[in-house]
Amino acid sequence: MSPTVDSLPTGIEACDCLTPFGDATATTGALLAGRRALQMQPVLGAAGGDLVPLALCGSMDETVPPRWLPDLRRLVERIPGDRWGTARRPLIVTSSNFGVGSLYAFTRDRDPRHLRHGPPFACVEMLQREFGWGEQVHVISHACVSAHLGLVQAARLLHAGLADRVLVVTFDFVSPFVAGGFHSLKILNASLPAPYAVRATGSIGLGDGAAFAVLTRATTPLRLEAHALHNEMHHFTGNRPDGAGFDACAAAIAGTARGRRVWVKGHGTGTLEAGRLEAEAYARHLPGAPLVSWKGSLGHTLGSCGLVELALALAGLRAGRLPGTVGGAVPCCTGSVALEAFARDGYDGAILTSNAFGGAHAAMLLAHD
Amino acid sequence: MPDLLNARLKNLIVQTLRLKDVKPEEILDHEPLFGASRFDLDSIDALELVLRLEKEFGIKIGSSEESRQALATVATLADFIRGRPPGRGT
Repeated sequence: MSPTVDSLPTGIEACDCLTPFGDATATTGALLAGRRALQMQPVLGAAGGDLVPLALCGSMDETVPPRWLPDLRRLVERIPGDRWGTARRPLIVTSSNFGVGSLYAFTRDRDPRHLRHGPPFACVEMLQREFGWGEQVHVISHACVSAHLGLVQAARLLHAGLADRVLVVTFDFVSPFVAGGFHSLKILNASLPAPYAVRATGSIGLGDGAAFAVLTRATTPLRLEAHALHNEMHHFTGNRPDGAGFDACAAAIAGTARGRRVWVKGHGTGTLEAGRLEAEAYARHLPGAPLVSWKGSLGHTLGSCGLVELALALAGLRAGRLPGTVGGAVPCCTGSVALEAFARDGYDGAILTSNAFGGAHAAMLLAHD
Repeated sequence: MPDLLNARLKNLIVQTLRLKDVKPEEILDHEPLFGASRFDLDSIDALELVLRLEKEFGIKIGSSEESRQALATVATLADFIRGRPPGRGT
């Protein structure tokens, strides 16, 4: 199966995110300073367990209302405009977690109030009430490419003439349920992640993250030009060992970037094989393009990473410098890995990638002349 | 004389992964369990096996790489368990 390529230019009217460091400007500043948000914390929150790297906005243990609602409220206050969720201004909500932490909390304390916002659609309905959003809401969840698919859906709605502006909102807050799951897979372990480093043991971190983007058909100085989507159909948790899945997506998005000088913000969670395959694929198809990952500082924000990291890329471009691979180390799996921050001068585009369980690959071209 | 730990591990593998067409005694000590093996096991099987081993033997496997090395064969798995006091990972 060949990758799907959508050349659907969309303007970015507004975009911001929330991480433990704060908004996109604060977070990018922290990344440029080489700071890590990840801290070693008990994998099951108050219930204890092994110490693993987590980047949290507060305690991981779920509350009523959800512990993440005040943070999300602060982010939503920064969204410009109103009447989101109406016919010409639809809203796309993405997450890989929604309120799963509340469902887990119910299994621990049996407080039925957790159930009100546990299941995905109940969670979105709560947000509609909370933020006054209308009925035109698309809900997308596809593991760790969820936010990226939300951006693709927004571009398609705009170019089909079905919307004038689209708001994409994504949120993923870590719960003991999810941290425990990754811990049982042994990829969330006692080591801090070092994306793209050659070392004996791979490891990821998990992080809280939320973001939004307002997209239009208008041409803006910073805009999304194209998307490539691919599923390698190999295995739920593993990639094809020959790297064909990464290669197909990298080739497809590189084809949309011909004539541009780009840098690459990779998925780079800190697992060994996937990191190497990704780095090799982009070094092959975009020789000379520096490759960075920010998950060594922020952890993996799961379904929201595509939009959180887009907001950070935009903040870096506004600042004139792009953060390097915080937490990375030599030797790296390719010479293209940039450990240090670098100036945006000389580049006019960026490739931003996300990957997900199930063999999903997503990449977008961000133009920034 | 058969190694008792190896025999116990073979039984545990067959039970945990519900290998219907494999008898424990048919698994060879140095036969690959994953990858190009006749058992057709994948990473989800590895996850189930690791969780069972941790519970059964009171050991901890620290990373996916350590898991891969330990689960290469019954013999490597037995060596791993013998080298780990209960409750100790890497």
